[in-house]
Amino acid sequence: MDNKPSLSQYFGSNEVPPASQFFDEIGTSPTDMIQSVYLGDPDTRPQTTATGIFPQNMTTSFIQNKMPQEMTFTNVVPTVSGSTAIPAASLPDPSTFFDTIGPEPQIGSIKSGVTATSVLSDAMDGLSIKNQPIDKDADRRRDAWIPNEDAKKTLLKAQSSPKGSFFPEREVLTMPGIVLEEELADALQEVAVKYLGVSSAGIHGVVRAEHVSRDEAGLRELLRTGYLRSAINLTATLISAAGQGAGRMHRPTKHTPRSLQLWLTRFAVMCRIKLYEPLMKEAEPFGDFSKPDMFYQFYPDSYENRTGSLVPFSLRLLIAELPMHANKPEEAMDRLYAMLDVIEQMIANLNEGKIEDGTGTISIEDQNESLRLWTARQTRVLHSIVNCAIALKDYRLAGNVLSSLGAGAGAGAGAGAAQRRAVASALCRVALLAGHVRAAARHCDAARDLRHHLCPTPDVREYVDLGLIDIAHGKYQDAYNNFAKAADQEPTNIMVANNLSVCLLYMGRLKEAIAVLQKAIHSDPERGLNESLLINLCTLYELESSKTNEKKLNLLRMLCKHKSDTIPNVLECLKLT
Amino acid sequence: MDTKEIIDHLVALKVMRLTKPALISPKIVTCDFKDLPGNILNNFLKDDATSVVQMETLTAGQFLLLPQSFGNIYLGETFSCYVCVHNETSQPVQSVSIKADLQTSSQRIPLTTQQNQSPIMLDVDETLSDVIHHEVKDLGTHILVCEVTYMSNYNTLSSFRKFFKFEVMKPLDVKTKFYNAESDDVFVEAQVQNITSGPIILEQVSLESSQQFIVKSLNEDNNGLSVFGDVTLLQPQESCQYLYCLTPKENITKDIKLIAAAKNIGKLDIVWRSNLGEKGRLQTSQLQRMTPDYGDIRVTYENLPSKIPVDEPFNFKCKIVNASDRTLDLIIKLRSLQDSSLLWCGISNRKLGPLEPGNVAFVNLTAMPITSGLHNITGVSLVDLFLKRTYDYDDLASVYVY
Repeated sequence: MDNKPSLSQYFGSNEVPPASQFFDEIGTSPTDMIQSVYLGDPDTRPQTTATGIFPQNMTTSFIQNKMPQEMTFTNVVPTVSGSTAIPAASLPDPSTFFDTIGPEPQIGSIKSGVTATSVLSDAMDGLSIKNQPIDKDADRRRDAWIPNEDAKKTLLKAQSSPKGSFFPEREVLTMPGIVLEEELADALQEVAVKYLGVSSAGIHGVVRAEHVSRDEAGLRELLRTGYLRSAINLTATLISAAGQGAGRMHRPTKHTPRSLQLWLTRFAVMCRIKLYEPLMKEAEPFGDFSKPDMFYQFYPDSYENRTGSLVPFSLRLLIAELPMHANKPEEAMDRLYAMLDVIEQMIANLNEGKIEDGTGTISIEDQNESLRLWTARQTRVLHSIVNCAIALKDYRLAGNVLSSLGAGAGAGAGAGAAQRRAVASALCRVALLAGHVRAAARHCDAARDLRHHLCPTPDVREYVDLGLIDIAHGKYQDAYNNFAKAADQEPTNIMVANNLSVCLLYMGRLKEAIAVLQKAIHSDPERGLNESLLINLCTLYELESSKTNEKKLNLLRMLCKHKSDTIPNVLECLKLT
Repeated sequence: MDTKEIIDHLVALKVMRLTKPALISPKIVTCDFKDLPGNILNNFLKDDATSVVQMETLTAGQFLLLPQSFGNIYLGETFSCYVCVHNETSQPVQSVSIKADLQTSSQRIPLTTQQNQSPIMLDVDETLSDVIHHEVKDLGTHILVCEVTYMSNYNTLSSFRKFFKFEVMKPLDVKTKFYNAESDDVFVEAQVQNITSGPIILEQVSLESSQQFIVKSLNEDNNGLSVFGDVTLLQPQESCQYLYCLTPKENITKDIKLIAAAKNIGKLDIVWRSNLGEKGRLQTSQLQRMTPDYGDIRVTYENLPSKIPVDEPFNFKCKIVNASDRTLDLIIKLRSLQDSSLLWCGISNRKLGPLEPGNVAFVNLTAMPITSGLHNITGVSLVDLFLKRTYDYDDLASVYVY
């Protein structure tokens, strides 16, 4: 799988698939295309470049000049879809996310099939573009969600009203708008200019942010290259164009899968760089996405028989987790369990041979595929619940949920064993967080036994867990030895180097601790210039001497050279005042 | 706990408290690959040095983060800190040494450093550093006093001191309750409450009994497993209740005076751990029970069956101990009270003969239950012939009749 798609994949594709490629919904409703029209409008482009990255007046001119056009369906040029087209071959396996990040899918292993994996997997989740432009089953699976009782009533009304005669009440509408109005400057750039001067700070970031296309492809390019604040600015532009910009909160608006994807992108990036306050405000009108206008059934004219929610699963999860970052983990916990409840209901429906919302019957193949998707999503929610429990320091709950995940991972060797092993290892660390060293040792033993199914000798994870247990016992020399064994196996592992350094400090060897971290950064700046590692290193600098500024500025120079705008708070990280 | 150094001195002193490091993980933001950001954010997560391979969406990380604040410190924990002296000049500094003391409200404790204390030369950019450990045994304000001595440019010894103040707080609240059983056993309930600001694990709670008692912990089942289940984790303000049974040693049970004098129960020894294994240990002072007041005469029943069939006579022993300082002359009376369900069999008004102080008399009694149910054994009384006083014993024990 290609993790880092090159630009050419976005722009250079000759094989232009239908407009429905990325958002297959876009093609079905002309209103959805409007935004891309004026975004791609050659008239606005030069003006934009002339006045800076994303000049303030751009958005305004936009609204003034172009807003009236919103309802006239002219100039429909599918620039968005065209430029976002991803060749089918570059699309990862539908299970990619859960194969690589989440747990292994448990049900209906596609690899056991007779058909070649790629063909089958392409067909999953509506990804097969060549032969089958829209896979309705895959869409249904992916978007499935059960509306609550109130929403169901409204949806029924929307479905049964004669065309054009359904006028929903204000209360049933989701009315979002942008709150964070100001353009965000490149934070790393800003710090660099302040501390290093304009000359050394470099300006490649500005150039990059300015030269991407003002559409989804450009957005992805900004994300991929790490210009996260510019990406947020671009989402604001695109969302404003979709009629949900600044000042639009509490006003009726039309939701499309595309607008929700834009919100997802905006919220995900805001979350990553910890802009929680505006994020909470902007997320507030969405609530828990239970309003009827978040469902396809609300728009029978546009989507006919399509069911499920317009809200991407990842957006739903992100918003459910959100209160956790605002010191309200209890609230996040409630929301996550509410999500889990709906998912379990859908899984129960599937197990009874019905489709997710329980309304119709399902074919065996479809059922397996959906169960695979939804059990993986269920696991993802459970992971969030564990994370939330850890944030609440409720280690009992975290341990219990994790244990159930381990038990559910399936017996036997192979994927199941790997999964159970990973869970046992995580349980070991949850026990350590609680200070339960005996339980930690027990879980570590269990993880070791499971590891025997996978490889005969201890690996990095095992050595590191053992080292962490030593630290809990206050045996820093033993911990150091374990981390050193891990480093023998993976000399370039940044985490291992960092842990070695921490041990050295507790052993009274500050100078060596600093040297280890500096070496780690220089050997792999891309990964080594990690926020937490920088915090550790700057803590050590400050302990060593009162003359730390030059060393910190060196780190800042390295950041400018190797990183872009991905760190939430550069000053905090480098302890610069 | 750093303070800004005013650069007059050739060396700088820095101190950092070494609490346990934290386990950190990346900010977890993921998308389905079909979403607009595709796998870009997922790849950020995977490439992050702080994420755990194949468990990227869990925050139980492996990456250690150094402590970023002084934190709280509790009685019984070990105060550890890193003390570092750095040569801030461009030439060597001679005769550098560190001395650290801990000043509490009552005493000044010299802290032992691990390295030798003889002054050394610090070359340019070199440091003299040490890790200091001290188990905190006092509550309240502590001041860490660090003194650095070095040879100044004028070949005179120069020194400066830095003070770091911190409060030691109480980690646990221990409440005890005592129950003196008829059998002379003492049951001790110990309620251990977590009054720290975070969760703790009670690693060990044990009662070390005094000389007079043998202790049995009642907190494990027959297989030695804790009755509290897998995890004795206490969230802030939560408590856990432990139960112990203390049996007086044989030489004490024989003498009612010694039993009455056995006030010292023992000490509770508690070991707990918190964040990443930070350990604390406390021992309570000697726990003291209120001994029962037996008066002049102590009566107990022995060999009493707990379940008896109706209409069948049963036997038991009445144990009478003279707890007074004089010889007693006693008569035992057995009356079947009006609404009583027990009928006494045998002789009432029996004379027991003179009973010396501390001596024991056993009387075999037989009774017959006439109705089923749970019945008190009533109608036993003793008459002190010298004082002409009658002692009634109506609620010493019950029997279940079926």
